[in-house]
Amino acid sequence: MGVNGGPVDLPDPRVGALSRVAPKPVRYVLNWGRRYSLWVFNFGLACCAIEFISTSMSRHDFIRFGVIPFAPGPRQADLMVVSGTVSDKMAPAVRRLYEQMPDPKYVISFGACSNSGGPYWDSYCVTNGVDQIVPVDVYVPGCPPRPEALLHGIVRLQEKIAGESLGERYAPVPPAAALASPLRPAPERP
Amino acid sequence: MSNHEAVKRVPGAGLAKGLAVTFRTLLRRSVTAQYPEVKPALPARSRGAIALLEENCTSCMLCARECPDWCIYIDSHKETLPAPEGGRERARNVLDRFAIDFSLCMYCGICIEVCPFDALFWTPEFEYAEYDIRDLLHEKDRLREWMWTVPPPPENDPSGAVPKEITTAERTAGPLTPGAGGDRDGGSEGGAGE
Amino acid sequence: MDISERTVGVGAGAAQTGDAVSAKDMATEDMVLNIGPQHPSTHGVLRLRLRLDGEQIVSAEPIVGYMHRGAEKLFEVRDYRQIVVLANRHDWLSAFANELGVVLAVERMLGMEVPERATWARTLLAELNRVLNHLMFLGSYPLEMGAITPIFYAFTEREYLQAVMEEVSGGRMHYMFNRVGGLKEELPAGWTGRARATVAEVRHGMVRVEEIIHGNEIFRARTRGVGVLTREQILQYGVSGPIARASGVDFDLRRDEPYLAYGELGDVLRVVTRTEGDCHARFSCLLDQVAVSLNLADACLDRLEALPPGPINQRLPKVLKAPEGHVYQWTENPLGLNGYFLVSRGEKTPWRMKLRSASFNNVQVLKELLPGNLVADMIAILGSMFFVVGDIDK
Repeated sequence: MGVNGGPVDLPDPRVGALSRVAPKPVRYVLNWGRRYSLWVFNFGLACCAIEFISTSMSRHDFIRFGVIPFAPGPRQADLMVVSGTVSDKMAPAVRRLYEQMPDPKYVISFGACSNSGGPYWDSYCVTNGVDQIVPVDVYVPGCPPRPEALLHGIVRLQEKIAGESLGERYAPVPPAAALASPLRPAPERP
Repeated sequence: MSNHEAVKRVPGAGLAKGLAVTFRTLLRRSVTAQYPEVKPALPARSRGAIALLEENCTSCMLCARECPDWCIYIDSHKETLPAPEGGRERARNVLDRFAIDFSLCMYCGICIEVCPFDALFWTPEFEYAEYDIRDLLHEKDRLREWMWTVPPPPENDPSGAVPKEITTAERTAGPLTPGAGGDRDGGSEGGAGE
Repeated sequence: MDISERTVGVGAGAAQTGDAVSAKDMATEDMVLNIGPQHPSTHGVLRLRLRLDGEQIVSAEPIVGYMHRGAEKLFEVRDYRQIVVLANRHDWLSAFANELGVVLAVERMLGMEVPERATWARTLLAELNRVLNHLMFLGSYPLEMGAITPIFYAFTEREYLQAVMEEVSGGRMHYMFNRVGGLKEELPAGWTGRARATVAEVRHGMVRVEEIIHGNEIFRARTRGVGVLTREQILQYGVSGPIARASGVDFDLRRDEPYLAYGELGDVLRVVTRTEGDCHARFSCLLDQVAVSLNLADACLDRLEALPPGPINQRLPKVLKAPEGHVYQWTENPLGLNGYFLVSRGEKTPWRMKLRSASFNNVQVLKELLPGNLVADMIAILGSMFFVVGDIDK
């Protein structure tokens, strides 16, 4: 609250302004640090959440990759793994928790349901893909994907982080409406 | 209740027991699989991705129709082959497009089961996470590439019935291997067909 | 801005001061606390609306529907093979048992006889699936109570079992191995031997899981006498499965209305019951059921190897249509009674297929169980109700 009781518009915290002017070695070191310390927030919704837990357990153990599943909540996390069906009732919560995460943040969509609604795409109450409400960095296919597939997705994400520039990533803030993935091109008819 | 109650418990015995388990586990070999360095050994039936043997496909649309969430897209057109000498011309279907949307696929295997011409196969490959969801739509050339990773199917349990592929083959071509079909109930069927 | 001042949650002590003045000063207003929909202890997206007086829960209301996916509606446009695919996904921890209920209902509708090998193989896989399900809860429950290690052990055993299930069916969680009339395909050669070795391995591993947590003093202190469910509550709310049996309701469909091959397994099948009805009883019920299920799996393997050679499925017509009519089939799922009410109008899709899922009833009892407990105990109670959110919301 402001002095006169009203809310005060604080400038949005910006990420990446400095990293745009940072020299390349510094940027490399920063990216290196970020890619191997991904505190993950598991948005466990359905079946895939069990495979996510499997991945974090002793057999697959993604802490080897620097993915740390002990984030106390979204506010301390860098990576959100949406695993499971996003229903229309749940979608606002997903969006809200995503917004609570500090920048830079990444989203892995884990499994068919969060990729595009999967088996339930024609249901009356299922969001057809979490990318309609939050931007997704890596899509892991499977129903549910095996734990190794999530590990592969994490490796892909780390490759992406290694090669990215935060300044570019955060230059314009896309409005929510622009996030929906464009429709697939219609199959060409002969 | 159980015998836990009957015995007077030493305070902390349960904790000590648990710690002992932890300590023993400390001495055991780790079970962690070193995934990116060591690829997992997956069983042949493992459902990783669907491979298409394009040559076998007659674009009959059975798979696309039976798919529980209709994630297979097929386009085809009819082509008339010129008549060979003394014959008449034949029409055949040419596959223009065969695509599986792996972002939608639920990996149930119904398409592979219903395919009457053995054009679809499971491969255990799973490493195809993408940055863009549109790349999860695998067109036929990419599905054809999966074919190289399809493992041979495992042998069936000997106490099971002889698979119908073998009985059909035996009916047309006689016993495939001497002795293989003889001691089973399916073998007599194969013999009868001769 | 709309600002109002509230005094919340001074504590239960305020009511007991007796002094009129201070009681007025310290008059408290109940605080409404939402647990969930995204909260680790709800393992999934159950939401609980609690009214708290200090740390004490005054009333609790489970709000369901965050995972509602409309599976029953989707069943209506899918044929009986496609239904199986969706049916195993509502309770994702017991996929095999769910497929089984659907195909049993259709088979009963058709009056179809299933080959004996298929029946025994189904029983075996259903029991292995039960172990998988219970292992998940045996691991996650201590985790919610602050003991992290048991879940690692439980998941190590789960991985062994999942490898066996994957070898036979191709899937780690959603097996898609049941078909109307039997199983999808023959077991691979040598699989029974490997399954037997795995069962032995898991039985050995269960000793670790039990030793590390079951006798633990902290764990016992947090679970014993907490969240006691009475027999009457169980019957009123239709609670079933290990939760009901922990309160002394001796009811298990595998024994009381045998389906599959359970009728012939009477000497191995021991129905685990407890009388206390508290969280600890529910946990130890689960623990003992794993042992029983492993014994059953061994017995099934014995029978499967002794059976004469035969097919594992029926040849089905090209288009499978269930005759007009309706049928109710219930099975003992790992989490309780699952019912499938199938109404057919003679078409290749059902006209309606209603699921009676175990978790839905099991969770409703929270409304009676939680009030009077502390928030810290809520975690213990919630975890011991062993529910799967998809099974609640379908």
